[in-house]
Amino acid sequence: MKRRAFIRTSASVSLATGALFSMGEWHSLLAAETPNLAYDLVAVKNAVPALMFDSGIAALGGMKQYVKPGQRVVIKPNIAWDVPPERGSNTNPELVGQIVKHCMEAGAGEVKVFDHTCDEWTRCYSSSGIGDAVKKHGGSMVNGNDEKEYRSVSIPKGRILKETRVHRLILESDVLINVPVLKNHGGAKLTVSMKNLMGVVWERRPWHSMGLHQCIADFSTFCKPTLNVVDGYRVMKKNGPRGVSEADVAEMKYLILSANMVAADAAAAKIFGIEPADVQYIVLAEQAGLGTAKLDTLNIKRIAL
Amino acid sequence: MNTQKWLRPLRRILALVVLAAFIIIFSDVRGKLPSAWVGVFTSIQLVPSLLKMILPLSLLSGLFLVLIALTLLSGRVYCSVLCPLGISMDVANRMLRWMPFLRRKARFKKAANYVRYPLLILLLLSLFSTGLFALNWLDPYANFSRMATYLYQPVYIAGSNVLAHAAAHWGVAALQAVPVNPFIPLAFFSALSFLLLVFTLMLFRDRLYCNAICPVGTFLGLLSRFSFFRVQIHKENCSQCGACQQVCKSDCINIKNLTVDTSRCVVCYNCLGACNANAIRYSAQWKISEKAVRQRDPSKRAFLKAGMLFMGAAPLLAEAKGHGANALCFWSRGVALPPGSQSLKHLKDKCIACNLCIASCPTKVLQPAFLEYGFTGMMLPKMDFQKGYCNYECTHCGAVCPTGAILALSAEEKKITQIGKAEFRPGRCIVKTEGTACGSCSEHCPTQAVHMVPYGDNLTLPEVNADICIGCGACEHACPVEDPHPAIFVVPHEVHQKAQLPKVEETTEVKNDHDDFPF
Repeated sequence: MKRRAFIRTSASVSLATGALFSMGEWHSLLAAETPNLAYDLVAVKNAVPALMFDSGIAALGGMKQYVKPGQRVVIKPNIAWDVPPERGSNTNPELVGQIVKHCMEAGAGEVKVFDHTCDEWTRCYSSSGIGDAVKKHGGSMVNGNDEKEYRSVSIPKGRILKETRVHRLILESDVLINVPVLKNHGGAKLTVSMKNLMGVVWERRPWHSMGLHQCIADFSTFCKPTLNVVDGYRVMKKNGPRGVSEADVAEMKYLILSANMVAADAAAAKIFGIEPADVQYIVLAEQAGLGTAKLDTLNIKRIAL
Repeated sequence: MNTQKWLRPLRRILALVVLAAFIIIFSDVRGKLPSAWVGVFTSIQLVPSLLKMILPLSLLSGLFLVLIALTLLSGRVYCSVLCPLGISMDVANRMLRWMPFLRRKARFKKAANYVRYPLLILLLLSLFSTGLFALNWLDPYANFSRMATYLYQPVYIAGSNVLAHAAAHWGVAALQAVPVNPFIPLAFFSALSFLLLVFTLMLFRDRLYCNAICPVGTFLGLLSRFSFFRVQIHKENCSQCGACQQVCKSDCINIKNLTVDTSRCVVCYNCLGACNANAIRYSAQWKISEKAVRQRDPSKRAFLKAGMLFMGAAPLLAEAKGHGANALCFWSRGVALPPGSQSLKHLKDKCIACNLCIASCPTKVLQPAFLEYGFTGMMLPKMDFQKGYCNYECTHCGAVCPTGAILALSAEEKKITQIGKAEFRPGRCIVKTEGTACGSCSEHCPTQAVHMVPYGDNLTLPEVNADICIGCGACEHACPVEDPHPAIFVVPHEVHQKAQLPKVEETTEVKNDHDDFPF
């Protein structure tokens, strides 16, 4: 009898702490405290994506800095197109898989991955290799093309974008890891972290007519990922964002990690070979006080493997 | 004791396997089935197999002959175990057991020869004037397929989405919700009317549709008159109790004369199980019965003669209607045909409007036409770039098409099949009118036929290289300009053309063997 009572008590105690814990973390995403970091940005180069991520995240103190045990994690890679990984149109699947693995090892309660794709979503998830990579490491893929999953939110700091519909995972998860792929974009010039967040909203068409760059900057005032991991392994230099063939892609073998999207995008622009000042949404986001594109003012860790 | 009681369970098992396969095919809203698997069940349908046979170099071209041989050997087995419409009727009829007030006992009825033969001949004649149009509204497979697409599939999707959302609510991510099919009134109401027609006929006289209206049933009935194996009454054992007659689906057992009308018998074997005296048996017939010879009636011959005469003149009456003016205007541009359908003529010659391509199109760009192809093109598949765009890598519609109306293209062939060309209207583009960055069209373009060129101060404007455009409609679908029409749209070809492959220019390899960072 004693033992049973003990088990019962300890079970209820752990249940209660679990419940308290999850309630306490409920709204942590939008009011996220930046983890205590030594570096503003970590840049890694010259290795395969998974290895670059291993050393990059280690320099930031490991995934446990960002993911606490039991937390709900959502990862947002770029999975917009029905093309294989060699084309560089989607985020590298090994990188996404490795991030899922680190999250699980850090004790994440669940790891969900989605994108509001352009091509038909089931084909994108499978062709990109991301579907398999995520499942292999214990994460799960979620349909990002289901309108019912999107919730209306207001964007108080938005200049022209005042309201939009956002996937509920973004609102309900504790941790958002943004994993864009660095590539050329015919309309926005460059797509990196901030542009990648267009994949968590439902109506994207109005953004174009309202003013694409301002909308991207406005949405960044609302949605601030816990961590941004920029895939610069295969970089699409032209014909982006979809690309036509592997000839559009240069194997540059870079990876950038930063909690700040403006810094991450500025560094990515440099790697791509253009000045951050030439990408309008980076300028607008900087003006909105979301971070700095002046990389020499930041504490950057550079790792060449 | 009847020694052939095992035949009926065997027929039921085979029929249920086929029906289950079709239910799975139309429930495959998540695109998990390999198209070859779908082909196994659709290619054994009579009208599709006939149309496929006319197509040269088809691997499946022999299946029509196999079905003919099967019928000559064993009677209308097709109607009982291969036809999904017939099997559905049997299942529905079986369910009527739970509603005794709707049940009826079968009696022998005369064959509706004055309906079925003229109808078949008229249908054959119509092939020369309106093509497959009339046949499409009566063919059992096409009708079943349309009912499955417009009546069954939406219910299935709704049900599975409810489950998916419920599962997601309880934290299980086992099932993903799928987009709901658009509601097409013509498609829905035509499928519903057919369902009501067949169901009413079934209440009234079971397989009456199959023996009075169905062109496949009538055609196979002509053959099954001569079938080698058939259901026959053996006089020496028969006490004329009439038990067999009461369970006959086709009302074709005449207990008074001890004959079975093999032209109507769908070899369901119900009668074998009903007979306790082993008097009715499925057995080989060694000589063509005199009965079958005598049954030929003169009116039928007259019809055939008139038909032959008419057939000679029919091509003159054939439609010579053109497809869409060649004007480059959005409103008069015509309709885009699915890749692999080559031309409107080819599509109309081969398509039985079963709409399986529409049911299985992953992007929903395929939709049934109303009057866009003319009256006789109703319910044929068209591309609707409002609903979606054609996925560059996808060749699904051609792979599942049972008749070859949409030819199975390899991914390589599909990627150079030009179904139309994109037309850009700079005056409507928001880059010009609003001075804002966009590039949504070029972003979606798989070949970069639509590409962005520098425009004004730090902006880019679309430009079209029509030679490499395949007309997939991604640009039109993605264009944020809506009212009254997009700034970029596809002008379809009447006959599909070949597009050039996109030029591949190697990206100058960025030297990255050093350890320096650009910041």
